[in-house]
Amino acid sequence: MGFFAKDKPETAASDAVRSDSDTAFFGAKLSIKGKVTGSGNLIVMGKLEGEVDLAGELVVAAPAVLNGEIRAVTLAVSGNVTGTLTAGEKIHLEKSAVVVGRMNTPRLSVVEGATFNGEIAMKKPADSADPSKRTDKK
Amino acid sequence: MAKDASSGTTSLVSRPVVVEGEISGEENLHVDGRVKGIIRLAGDLFVGTSGVVEAEIDARSIVIQGAVTGKVLARRQLEVQPSGRFNGEATAASYEIRQGAVFEGISRMLGSAAQNAKPSAPAGPVLEK
Repeated sequence: MGFFAKDKPETAASDAVRSDSDTAFFGAKLSIKGKVTGSGNLIVMGKLEGEVDLAGELVVAAPAVLNGEIRAVTLAVSGNVTGTLTAGEKIHLEKSAVVVGRMNTPRLSVVEGATFNGEIAMKKPADSADPSKRTDKK
Repeated sequence: MAKDASSGTTSLVSRPVVVEGEISGEENLHVDGRVKGIIRLAGDLFVGTSGVVEAEIDARSIVIQGAVTGKVLARRQLEVQPSGRFNGEATAASYEIRQGAVFEGISRMLGSAAQNAKPSAPAGPVLEK
């Protein structure tokens, strides 16, 4: 009897953002305390407290609440983030984003309506290619 | 934690991702990557063939195709599939250990004393079916 879908996880509530199975997904009712590392893409809809260090794209989707130090190659935020966000390539804040803290990124885009309180440091892409400054690379 | 609170949503720790710490919530979780720490779920835990979990686990049902080490509570069922390896201390309401699976450690039956209406198997190591 199948109490569990053997092949792929349900896509309820996340059809819009799900893509392939290399994309990790933390649902709205999941809460994580600690450290998330690795590569590939990650979509967070729930709560996360701690550290994220991802060699890939991080999507902080609408109901998500993140608190801590976040590093990724690209960061797209439509949820709530408090802490330090560091992107190797770019950060994008959607309309519903609420960010408090510091953003380090060579490129930044902000949609009208997004809330940001804090500091921004923008390095030139050339700087971020300097291995001594890269934090998202193992 | 409510026993049947799972909303049907399944979160995924994909193959290249490592989580160290505590994962909790009212969802199902599928692990193809690595998790070290604590997992507490109202729903089910599925550990895929590439999944490696070293954790204290509390979930409804647990299906293991990869490797799990730790102290595990499956409120409904613990299933170790042929490719699965379990090492540790397990407590579950029922077990399914497939041929080829590795189960090393201790197993206990959950609620074998009074609360189950139907007779349940005696406590002790559970072997292949």
